[in-house]
Amino acid sequence: MTRKTEDIFNNCLERMFKGESIKDCLDAYPKKTPDLEPLLKTSLAIARSSSTIKPNPEFKARAHRQFQLMLHAKQKKAERRVKISIWHRRWALATASILVVFLVGIGTAAASTNALPDESLYPIKLAAEQVRLTLAFSDVARTTYHVKFAGRRSGEMVEMARQGESDKISMLTEQIANHLGKVYIMEETPVARGEIPEVMVPTPAAAPPAGVETFDAGKNMGELEIILSQSRTNSLNALWYALDNAPEKLKPILEQAIEDIEEDYNITISLIESGSNQ
Amino acid sequence: MSIEKDIVARATKGDGDAFAQLYERHFNGIYRYIYLRLGNQFEAEDLTQDVFVKALEAIGSYKWRDLPFASWLYRIAHNRVIDHVRKQSKVEKVPLEDDIPLFSESNTALAAEREIEIEEMISNIEKLSPAQREVISLRFGAELSVAEAAKALGKNEGTVKALQYNGIAALRKMLLTDN
Repeated sequence: MTRKTEDIFNNCLERMFKGESIKDCLDAYPKKTPDLEPLLKTSLAIARSSSTIKPNPEFKARAHRQFQLMLHAKQKKAERRVKISIWHRRWALATASILVVFLVGIGTAAASTNALPDESLYPIKLAAEQVRLTLAFSDVARTTYHVKFAGRRSGEMVEMARQGESDKISMLTEQIANHLGKVYIMEETPVARGEIPEVMVPTPAAAPPAGVETFDAGKNMGELEIILSQSRTNSLNALWYALDNAPEKLKPILEQAIEDIEEDYNITISLIESGSNQ
Repeated sequence: MSIEKDIVARATKGDGDAFAQLYERHFNGIYRYIYLRLGNQFEAEDLTQDVFVKALEAIGSYKWRDLPFASWLYRIAHNRVIDHVRKQSKVEKVPLEDDIPLFSESNTALAAEREIEIEEMISNIEKLSPAQREVISLRFGAELSVAEAAKALGKNEGTVKALQYNGIAALRKMLLTDN
């Protein structure tokens, strides 16, 4: 058997797939007919049997629905990211301002910790968070900050709801989506998957603040899933409580925000789950 | 191919409709390929969905010049099958008899006959070497060309043709023995 036989066999197979008969092809190779004819007949039988394998229609319909939902969620997320890019620019500006704050004194930044979106120190609070994200010593630490900051935004939303500040609610919803979207992106990195050992470079500036749980190299995606689930439960409980006590005119906006946030958490958790199950 | 290239280009830029078209084009082929590799309907269903989830997640970074789309997609499917087999190696396999029937035809006798044919075929394919089985599944299940199959497997076309030829010859022998 030579390579040529394999080539001729493949050539006949291709012609058969296009609708020609076995005889049509073998007429061109009479010397090869005794060897190739039985093999081509076997191939034809396999091709015919294979072509009858079809997914169960119910499964196909179910899979199609799930796929459409996933596609929709992905597109929604992408659209939000475009909107949020405006906030990135503001954050960049705020990041520059944080340098000034450092020159003036870190006391101002510390004072901004509890600032709310309608307060003058709020951009400084966001900038300080951005600095923490930038200086995070690893992708997993950065991921944890994103979960933490998403939770913070929920807390601020509760307060804004209490004050009846409807415009701030949609802004905060977008910021939560942005943070949770980053959690998903981080999950895709080889470091977060545990495929590449994490290089820890501890510096005083990169040390995590008290109360922020960080990952070390030994922690895995399952732990991220737990942190996310806790953040989801805490945020949604607080927001549902706020919804019960919110002014009537604010309720539809807050309800929509809660729905969006819940969906964002669920998508992020399910993507992490599917990643950790691979 | 150029139509698919255009659809793929749109899908890589985040066009959901374009990705949905790719899903429709390749869904049955991916299912057939995985079914031939695993011989189990439920596993084939789960993994088919997984492949498209993975593809959707990664489509943004796909580049046609590195690999034709079909080869890229079947490479994902191949990797998923390998992962799955590795994970399931110690788990008892559900026999095909316990599966839901493959066909929903009104002619149950014909459906049953086809199912037996497929069972026999899969049972024989399972006896091939892993590389032959891979090539036969890609060529006859996924209906990839030799060139596409070669790229999906990272082998040269000559090797794929040889594996195909030897795989079919081995299946022929098995059929003769069965009969």
